[in-house]
Order: sequence, then structure tokens, then C-alpha cells
Amino acid sequence: MSSIIEELQSTVKKLLEDGTVGYVIGWGATRFPDRTTPVFITRPEDAHKLVWNHYCVNGTAKYALDDRYPEKKIGIIIRGCDSRAVNRMIQDNQLKRENLYLIGIPCDGKENPVCEGCQHKNPLVYDVLIGTPVEEKINPDRFKEVAEFEKLSQDEKYEYWAKQYDKCIHCYACRNVCPACNCKECYADQYRVGWQGKQNNRNSNQVYGLTRAFHVGDRCIECGECERVCPMGLPIMRQTKKMLKDINDLFGDYECGLNDSRPHVLGEFDLQDRDEFM
Amino acid sequence: MSRIGVFVCHCGTNIAGTVDVARVAEAMKAEPGVVFATDYKYMCSEPGQQMVKDMIKEHKLDRIVICSCTPRMHENTFRKMLKDTDVNPYMLEIANIREQCSWVHTDKEKATEKAIALARMAVAKVGRDFPLFTSTIPIHKKALVIGGGIAGIQAALDIADAGYQVTLLEREPSIGGRMVMLDKTFPTLDCSACISTPKMVEVSAHPNIELRTSCELEDVSGYVGNFEVTIRQKARYVNHDICTGCGLCETKCPTKVISEFNQGMSERRAIYKSFAQAVPAKPVIDPDHCRKLQEGKCGVCQAVCPLKAINFEDKDTTFTDTYGAIIVSTGYQLIQWQDLYPEYGGGRFKDVISGLQFERLVNASGPTEGHILRPSDQTEPKDVVIVKCVGSRDPKKGKSYCSRACCMYAAKHAHQILEKIPDSNVYVFYMDVRTPGKGYEEFYDRTRKDGANYIRGRVAKIYKEGGRLICRGEDSLLGRQVTVEADLVILETAMVPADGIGEVVHKLGIAMDADGWVQEAHPKLRPVETQTAGVYLAGTCQGPKDIPDTVAQASAAAAKVCGLFSKSEMETSPMTSKVDQSKCCGCGHCEVCCPYKAITLVEIDDREGPKKIRRTVASVNSGLCQGCGCCAAACRTGAIDLLGFTNDQILREVDALCQ
Repeated sequence: MSSIIEELQSTVKKLLEDGTVGYVIGWGATRFPDRTTPVFITRPEDAHKLVWNHYCVNGTAKYALDDRYPEKKIGIIIRGCDSRAVNRMIQDNQLKRENLYLIGIPCDGKENPVCEGCQHKNPLVYDVLIGTPVEEKINPDRFKEVAEFEKLSQDEKYEYWAKQYDKCIHCYACRNVCPACNCKECYADQYRVGWQGKQNNRNSNQVYGLTRAFHVGDRCIECGECERVCPMGLPIMRQTKKMLKDINDLFGDYECGLNDSRPHVLGEFDLQDRDEFM
Repeated sequence: MSRIGVFVCHCGTNIAGTVDVARVAEAMKAEPGVVFATDYKYMCSEPGQQMVKDMIKEHKLDRIVICSCTPRMHENTFRKMLKDTDVNPYMLEIANIREQCSWVHTDKEKATEKAIALARMAVAKVGRDFPLFTSTIPIHKKALVIGGGIAGIQAALDIADAGYQVTLLEREPSIGGRMVMLDKTFPTLDCSACISTPKMVEVSAHPNIELRTSCELEDVSGYVGNFEVTIRQKARYVNHDICTGCGLCETKCPTKVISEFNQGMSERRAIYKSFAQAVPAKPVIDPDHCRKLQEGKCGVCQAVCPLKAINFEDKDTTFTDTYGAIIVSTGYQLIQWQDLYPEYGGGRFKDVISGLQFERLVNASGPTEGHILRPSDQTEPKDVVIVKCVGSRDPKKGKSYCSRACCMYAAKHAHQILEKIPDSNVYVFYMDVRTPGKGYEEFYDRTRKDGANYIRGRVAKIYKEGGRLICRGEDSLLGRQVTVEADLVILETAMVPADGIGEVVHKLGIAMDADGWVQEAHPKLRPVETQTAGVYLAGTCQGPKDIPDTVAQASAAAAKVCGLFSKSEMETSPMTSKVDQSKCCGCGHCEVCCPYKAITLVEIDDREGPKKIRRTVASVNSGLCQGCGCCAAACRTGAIDLLGFTNDQILREVDALCQ
């Protein structure tokens, strides 16, 4: 681990020194040994502040969206999930690959339950790789939880989600952290048309939940950030997983954020599409 | 504050019979912004329209709601009416309380409640309506006709005769389509070739028609009045500018290939003309079978051609032209019955043939010079079984629809056999006999009097015993099994859309139904138009039909094109999509889902804080946009609005409904 940190720090230092990047997004230490925080390293002499440990849980890629037109390349330290987030935002026309310098690190899982089912531990795309690739496994239980949940009756499912969304406080943390939520101006912030009720009640909470799920469902990269950041503990990813499961059942193997340019299925028009619902 | 008028139509008893129209009008008076509401017997009638105009004046209305039939029916009527008033024609909403209410309900109380809810939605929406204005686009007065069968030929001739330029596109080496393969046409028994080949010649000689054979549609962009069409000219390996069609090459070509034109019952050469009267009357080389092109040896045709018209180096070329209108007349083919009906031998028995094969057998220019001979041993059949509805009206194995023409040509086939072969017996297995058409029933009657035996029932199995074909089936009128021994069996098979129709439809941005037939804009009121403005339909690409109907539809499509071309500019609907570029994030999802290719991503100059940037956003070509609203639905940001159906207007409707 320590050699990886050294290699990481020296790589970042060099990139900043030679001016390849304007700054680097990574993880830094906090007051607590079991917490890290995203850091933006702008000076070579600060490179030593970067850490790499079991607690580097935050996604790093989404921050690049705040700087869509950078003067120099943005350096991002990416794990497998972050690389899919980068792909997501490039495929959605929100970032340009040439504006990014990707420092990949193979990741063996962090202090985050979502890492257990990770199928892409190694970065799918990078400019430089720190460390050596780790072994990846297909997760046979990718949709196990959803399959179990599907067995409930419609009323039971409704009751479950109604109770969950009764807890939602409209903090929009799940949206802010999601790499698929990359609109310039979110529908939920548009008060004139009135898409999204601002009241905290069952109706507007559920409208938010459903709309969010449909807006990102077919583009979800399964990083689980939405669920990690939810202060009320809503099982948010279960919604997008359900959509991904349906897409897999209907259209065959489907995973987002990989290195292919396959259009997202729900926005694509193909004469060969299944249309038995017509 | 808006001043809304609500006009509730009785539509005779169509609406008033099920909906308490007076109560609907009364309820609307209480809605915010409504200053006048009334009901009337026929709102679309002259006095009805006059009443609306008078009330607009009297009450200073600035927008109106008509509660009546579907907007597909009379929205345009009322828009036209508004042109005579001070109210913008787009400050109008139609609440459909007929098709979506009175016609589908019986409980008057509940239907009235629903009508009130529908009217309330329209009132809520009209309150958010804003004036829209049409614009005009120039029209390029040249038409493209895709498919050179009788439909395409007729349409091209009609347009050309009206004085406009036409390009007729045909993927085969000759025009003529299916009609020219037929022997005689029912019910008058005109010789099919005698009435279609003169039209083919007329096409090739017409100064306003550019004939393009061996050509396929490559790409279409643009919009009504201004389609940019790229056409692929397939390599013919014969320079038609030089070739005189002397035919010497054909006689010397050593390669024999099964003739498509004669339905596999004779042979042609690798350099060939499809048939004697082909237009253009010049040969092409079939590259899949030509020895020179496949193996590099031979080249006899090149050696014998006195004009050196053969060019083995010929390549596919493409060219692009601008057209104001497009007619689709791609026609039909027969269903591949061999794969679907193994019980009829699945193609193993040579003497079980399709109706089109029989047409070639009985045709004087066909493989047997008009003598009806069995393909297996070239003997004259005495007992002939005709099986109708093979693939038609059979949802389990084939198609659920009726192919329309088969009853009549089955009768014609029966008549021809009885006429040409003395002492012959013809048995026609049928489900129903459908003869709606001028002189059709009389023709069918005549055939029965000629001696054709009509047996009501399906043939369950055909097998071979000795040299004969045993047809076992049911006579459902007598309720017993029948077995007929036959020398020849003719299957009258279903019509299906021509191969490749899906690609043509996709390129043109028009729609197909579940069976692959091209979808008309409205089955009754706009039968030759498509949902894409400027694209029209003719003939069997739209659905099975016989020759008179095909020709009539072709002329109708031509009339539509001529109507379009009679003006130099046309009005476009202002109900198109509009992008709010300040919200647009340039994700491009709208571009992917637009069926009309009306959306492109463009770069604009913008600022981000103090920084000058170039940003990608979506842009709508309003000439191409048909106002379907797919993009507006796909836009997560809500940056796209469909004018006339803005997000705001629709949300007001939903709010009104949920009150």
C-alpha cells in the first residue's frame, strides 16, 4: 500500500510540476483515521497530502463537471467505478476526454457495502496506471436483491416505497453525487414550470423518487454513491437496479459506463426493438 | 386575465345522447377565465361557426375551447374559422368529448362528469396558450417515385403529364413490377402485358420522367418541398448510353441462371434482360453469376458486343438530387409459403405452385408459351386443385389479414384452366368468397357456371401418390372429409410487403404497421399521405389491393403531389419543437430519438462566469420537425418545448384533471 501511495504522490507531483494538469482530484486525510475527504491538489508540494487507503470511498469523477471548460487538463485519480463515471459523462457529452488526465488505481474494495458486488475493480480507461491490476469477478448476485423484492405483492411494494419516500428530505444529495445526473439545470430546480413540488409530502417526495429513477435508470453505472450519501438511509440504488434488471431481461446484457459507445437503451430507436407491448 | 369562451357541441345525438352538454357548458362558466360558455347542435356547421364568431366579438373573447369530436377531425376547421376573427388560430383547444367520451361510455352521469373533466383540462390549457404564426418554405417542384410497378408508373405519368419533373426509381433492371408478370387481369380478362407495357414505354419516352433502374434509395434528409435524396446506382456492367439492346451478348453468354421473372420455371443468362418487353430494353450483368466477375474468365459478351458497351470495371455510384415530394410505391411480394406449410409439401413437390407461377405458365410469353403444363413432366394436367388463403387469414401460420385480390384471381385461374384444357376438372378450396368490386361477383358466377367446383374448407395435407397429388381436406358445408386427386395444385398465397421495405420506411422517417405495410396518415381521411409531410403512398406497399385500386391510389397520390407543386411556397405548421438553449446541456438524447432527423447538435458561443466558452446545444430544424414531441419527452432537463403542447400547458392540464 505504501509504495502505491508513494508512486501516486510522485506521479501527481510530476504532473503538476510539468504543467500537464491544472489540479488533481483525489482523497486526503481527515481528523478521523477511518474517514477521507475529496481533495483538490493544485501545487506540487501538496501532493504528499494525497492518501490511498481502505476509506477512500467518495467518487472523484463528478467534481470535474464543475469545471467543464478547464484551461488545463483536470487530473482525476480514478478507481474502476470512477472510470465508469468518467465514461458516463463523456458518453453524455458533458466532459471531453482530452480535458482529463486519468490516474488509474486498481481497487480491491473500500469501506462501502456496494464494493462487494463490484465487477470492474480496475479502471476501464486511464492515462497512467498506479499499481497492478487486481482480479475481477462476475457477480452472480448482481440482481439478487431486486429479484427477491420483486416477489412481494404490488401493495407490499407500494407500501415499502411509500414509507421509504416519506423519509426523503429533498436534500438532493443523491442527485448531486450521481455521475448520470449531469444536466445543466435539474428539472427539480425549475420552479416556473412546476415539475417538482417543493413541499415535503408523500406526493412530491414520490414524484422526485420516480423521476430520478427514470432519468438515470438506463444510464446507472452502479457506483452506489446515491445510497451512500443519503442522510435518511433510503435504498435508492434498488430502483435503478430494478430498471437495469428489466433492461437486461428485455434487451440482453447491459452495463453502463463501459468502454463501448452503445447508446442507452431507453433513448435509442431501433427497428429491431421488441415491441410486444404495442 | 384571459377571456375564454367554451362551446360545447351536441354532434346531433353523437355527444348529446350520452353527455349532458348543457351541464358541461354550465360547469365551465365557473372555471377561472371563462367569460362565456354555451352548447349548440352542430358547432362545425355554418351557423355554428357563425355563432362562435359572433360570440368572440360580443364577449371580446381572446381564446376559445371547443368541446366536440377529435381534433384530427375539426381542429383545422376551427383554425380556419378563427382566421376571420381577431383571435390567433392557435389560441384554440379542442376537448374531445366524442371519441374519448360519448362514444365509449353508456352511463350518462359518469360520461357527463368525464366530459366536464376533459373540458376543464382544455380550459386550463387554453389559458396558457400563446399566439403561434405559420411560416413559409419554398417548394422544389420535382418528385421522386420509389418503385416502378404499376403504381409507381401511373403516379410518375400523372405527375409528369401535369408538367412536373419526376424521377422514377426501380431496384430491378426493368420497371413493370408484378403486373407485367400476370397473364390476364380480372374481371375483363384484358391481357396484363398489353395494358401495362405501353405505359412502361410511355415512362421511358416521357420528357419529364427520368427513369432510374437498378437503383436503390441510399439516404434521405431534408423535409417537405426540399428532400435531399441520395440514390445508389448499382453497377450494371453495361453502358446503357451506348448499348442498343441488340441482344447478341445474351445469346452468347454461357452461364444459365434460374429466371426470377418466370418464377424459377425457366432459365436466363448471366447477362440478361428480365423479359422481352423490359424497359429499358437493355441488358445488365448479374454479378453473382457472371463467370468473368466471379472467376475472372470468360468475357464472351465483351468480345461479341459490336459497340463495346460491356465494362467489367463498372462500380456502384451514388448521386444526390433535391425533391419536393416523394411517393412510396414499393409493392408486395408473395409470402414464402414453403417455410410455413410443410403439410403442402413445403416446396418439395414440383407440381404444387404459387398463383404467380401459374400466371407465368398460362402466359403466352412464359416458359411454356401459354400451354398449361406440369412443371414436373411437362404434361397437361386434367385435375387441378386451387387452394385459397394460403398464408392469408391464418394468424397461426401466416398473416391474419385477407389479401383481397386472391378470390378474384383464383376464379380467373379456374376459368383459364377450364377454357384452355378441355375435360379438365378444377376444384377450388375456399374459406369465403369475397368479390366486392365492379363486375367481380358476375365473374365469379361465370366461373362456377363454367364448371369450377368450389369446396368450402381448407386443405389439411397434400401428398404424392404415384404421379399424382392427393389433397385431403374438409368440406365444411357437408361436414365431411374430402380427398381430391390432382395433377397440379395452385396455392393462392398471401401478399406481404416487398423485401427491404423496412429500410425505405426507416430512411424516410415514416411508419409501418405490425405486418410491415406502410402506415397511412389516416385510414379514411388521409389514405395516401403519411405522417411525414411530403411523403405519399401508392399501391400495395400500403396494404394488399388489386390493380384498379392500386392505379386509383397512384393517381390520388399524384394529385396530392400536384396540389403541393401548384404553389411556389407552402405554409408550415408552427407546432414544432423549440430548444431553450440556456437550459440545454447538449446530451444529445433528443437527436437520437428524433424520427425525422430534425435535431442536430450545434456549438454556440456562451459565457461561463468571466470565461468565454463554446458550448454544444441541440437545435431544431423547424422545416423537418413534425411536432411529434419525442424530443420533449426525452429531454430530462425540460429544455425542449413543443409549441402548442408546452410542458407548462400539459402540466396545467394534469393539474386541472387532478383537481
